Amino acid sequence: MHIPDGFLDPYLSVLMYIIALVFLTWAWRGVKKTFPRSFVSVMAVSSAFVFVGQMLNFPIVYGTSGHLVGGTFLALLLGPHAAVISMSIVILIQAVFFADGGISTFGANIFNLAVIGGLSFYAVKLLSNPSSSQKRLSASVFVASWLSVVLGALAAAIQIGVSSMFASVGGVLVTVPAMLFWHVIIGACEAAITTSLTSQFLRVKPTMLNGLAILRGVAYERRY
Amino acid sequence: MRGVTKAIILIIVGLVVLIPFASTFPDGLEKVVESLGVEEPDSMWSGIMPDYTFPFTTNPYLTKLISGLIGLFLAFSIPWAVGRVTTCKHSVKK
Repeated sequence: MHIPDGFLDPYLSVLMYIIALVFLTWAWRGVKKTFPRSFVSVMAVSSAFVFVGQMLNFPIVYGTSGHLVGGTFLALLLGPHAAVISMSIVILIQAVFFADGGISTFGANIFNLAVIGGLSFYAVKLLSNPSSSQKRLSASVFVASWLSVVLGALAAAIQIGVSSMFASVGGVLVTVPAMLFWHVIIGACEAAITTSLTSQFLRVKPTMLNGLAILRGVAYERRY
Repeated sequence: MRGVTKAIILIIVGLVVLIPFASTFPDGLEKVVESLGVEEPDSMWSGIMPDYTFPFTTNPYLTKLISGLIGLFLAFSIPWAVGRVTTCKHSVKK
């Protein structure tokens, strides 16, 4: 879902850079204020995991593939702020070293993958409450991670749709349904992976889910 | 620290095992672009290891594995460094 260079009009690239910068500032401040140093290793390991997850595509249908985005998973591990920072670093590495996603579209990719992924944390929060059962929590994680992919794809579809490169093929009216068609399916795979990973963590090592701790209103300092 | 090593080893094992099974089909966005017949413009930056290939080997497995391991190292160390800089010093250490 990484938008390559050249697909977006210059004004849109600049606009997305500004929007990404606003969210990055928000995330940076959040991390500085609350993120415990003892959790830096978890941030590093989970970023490495997300990098590998995004590198390995799984086939879906009709000769198309998808890959894990991992935004919701990061948010549950690290909390929304650190998830945005961590994912943005992964996207930066992909763009600079592997030409996966453009440099000029970096802002747009941060918004579509990192910001929407990180903010899916609040979808989990909305759908479950601190005392929810594990079933309800898993269902919320499933819906939130599916939404994060579908909304990210919708944002990407709108961005390329309003750009001049796609004007001749029909613009937003064509790109939005086409992108949603594939990403509804890719999102379901993402949701299945995220939900099973989260429930494994809950079973084996629930203290790792720092994001979940925030969700349940447990203070950082008290836990670590 | 032991947990970190264990997790990284698990991720590397996952990478080693799953590379041959990774799909080379276009992803959702690439498929849409392809089906609409839009030409992908020449990239202004082609990266150091474009599309997860390592320049000095032609073996399709090794090239992905080496670039993946380099990426994994970067994706581990940069967030670590950024994390150290951003986090508050007064937090309780393990």
